[in-house]
Amino acid sequence: MSDLPAVDRLTCVLCPIGCELEVTTDAAGGLDVRGNQCEKGVPFAVEEVLRPKRNLATSVPVRGTADRMVSVRLSGPVPREMIFPILAEIAKLRPEAPIRRGQVLIADVLGTGVDVIATRTVLQGRSLRGNAPINAKP
Amino acid sequence: MVESPETRDVVVIGGGPAGLAAALGARRAGAGSVLVIEREPRLGGILNQCVHDGFGLFLYKETISGPEYAERLAEDVVRERIEVETGAMVLDLAPDRVLRINSRAGYRLIKAGAVVLAMGCRERTRDMVGIPGTRPAGVLTAGSAQHMVNLQNLRVGNEAVILGSGDIGLIMARRLVFEGVKVKGVFEILPWANGLERNVRQCLMDFGIPLVLRSTVVDIRGRDRVESVVVAGVDDGLTPIPGTERVIPCDTLLLSVGLIPENELSKRAGVEISPLTGGAVVDETLMTSVPGVFSCGNVLHIHDVADWASFEGFAAGENAARFAAGRTGAGRSARVSAGPDVRYALPQTVSLGASGVAWSFRVTRPLRDVRIAVKGRSSGKVYARKKYGRILPSELQKIEVRKAVAEDLEVGVDE
Repeated sequence: MSDLPAVDRLTCVLCPIGCELEVTTDAAGGLDVRGNQCEKGVPFAVEEVLRPKRNLATSVPVRGTADRMVSVRLSGPVPREMIFPILAEIAKLRPEAPIRRGQVLIADVLGTGVDVIATRTVLQGRSLRGNAPINAKP
Repeated sequence: MVESPETRDVVVIGGGPAGLAAALGARRAGAGSVLVIEREPRLGGILNQCVHDGFGLFLYKETISGPEYAERLAEDVVRERIEVETGAMVLDLAPDRVLRINSRAGYRLIKAGAVVLAMGCRERTRDMVGIPGTRPAGVLTAGSAQHMVNLQNLRVGNEAVILGSGDIGLIMARRLVFEGVKVKGVFEILPWANGLERNVRQCLMDFGIPLVLRSTVVDIRGRDRVESVVVAGVDDGLTPIPGTERVIPCDTLLLSVGLIPENELSKRAGVEISPLTGGAVVDETLMTSVPGVFSCGNVLHIHDVADWASFEGFAAGENAARFAAGRTGAGRSARVSAGPDVRYALPQTVSLGASGVAWSFRVTRPLRDVRIAVKGRSSGKVYARKKYGRILPSELQKIEVRKAVAEDLEVGVDE
């Protein structure tokens, strides 16, 4: 871990408060975190310095409906370097309506242990034309 | 011609995060007939195109995407059997709360016991910030690009420059990278980023996209399509500095240069608009200067987090239901103004004697280790005081006053 900077300043991204965290490496090689307003800040900072994780969101074309796209995200964060490999997997998707919110479109994507899930409900047919307030359950 | 209007207890204009919450708030506070009018074919407003996660942390205690947040709120609206009219447009709102609506079923005239304004906001355009140069294709607002990419499966270009560091611009920088577009930089005229810090880190720093502060676009070049933009540094007066110009080849310029509350209807109804927020002047019940007309969400003032727009919506809806039921306390009120380093404080008026009122405010510049105080204008008495390690202009803040208000107030840095 000799490539670690002595001090890393980073912004906690767990909530919109965005605490300014200062991570220092002590003589024993341990990490010291300051500036966190809640207890979630410490593990976040350690992970952010050693192995940052991110969620990702995109949308994919969908067949069998007037809605062109279904939005997707991951069920949980993955190591940051997995973003582009996972995007390439998502790009192969051509799901067919109906799709319900939360439906798993790719399980355990690239062995990361997280799923690619739909983030909205897409009905079959011309669902954009009716006066349905939402895409109620198919 | 005599028109006899339909009647509703509460009519909510706009079905986004604020409007849906307002409808729910009104229903839960006892309003019998609640109608939500939405211009788009689907409820949810801008949330439908915000596919990124980070929504719902305060309302649902978990982080979800915009479409999920919208669907969950909309499902609650359906569950509460609230009447919804999508694909419908309010043509006019009169001061006596009569709405003229162009709906799928044709023209409708509705008299509302109370109205909640929740129309959201629009993006500033190239014309509004006055960028010189040619008029080629490829110049678009960040939100338009978001709609094209996320909802229409369209590619906006190959090489993009982003002007302005608002949240939508930051989110779109990352979104374009995901789509294989090269993002050459985000240029911000102010000395600080306009968007949330987490977006600067997750959307720019993660992908090595430069954020260039104190800089702006001074020229757009290209005949049919953008071929390049010219950026330059600015001085303290925000004027471009000659000699600092730099040509950046690109085919797309995204603008993320601010949002403006969409208050055309409010103005038709005679609602007093604040020049500081671009939204209505409201009291502590979120009622505008027109009795029975309430306002919430981005049409009232620009929010950085959807959850806060929804919380404001719940409150506006509850208060609208009370007004419709005739439970109103019309008393004398005090004015509330923005003090040192505070751009605006909302509500701008408050009933004398009211207590437990929370003010939303934004600061004019980044501040460190300051105290914000709510003080009496004439007495100098401190009604509330709160310490902040750091406040950014991009963050909407709250300060609560527990004491009963007895005079005009000022919200500002406590010096």
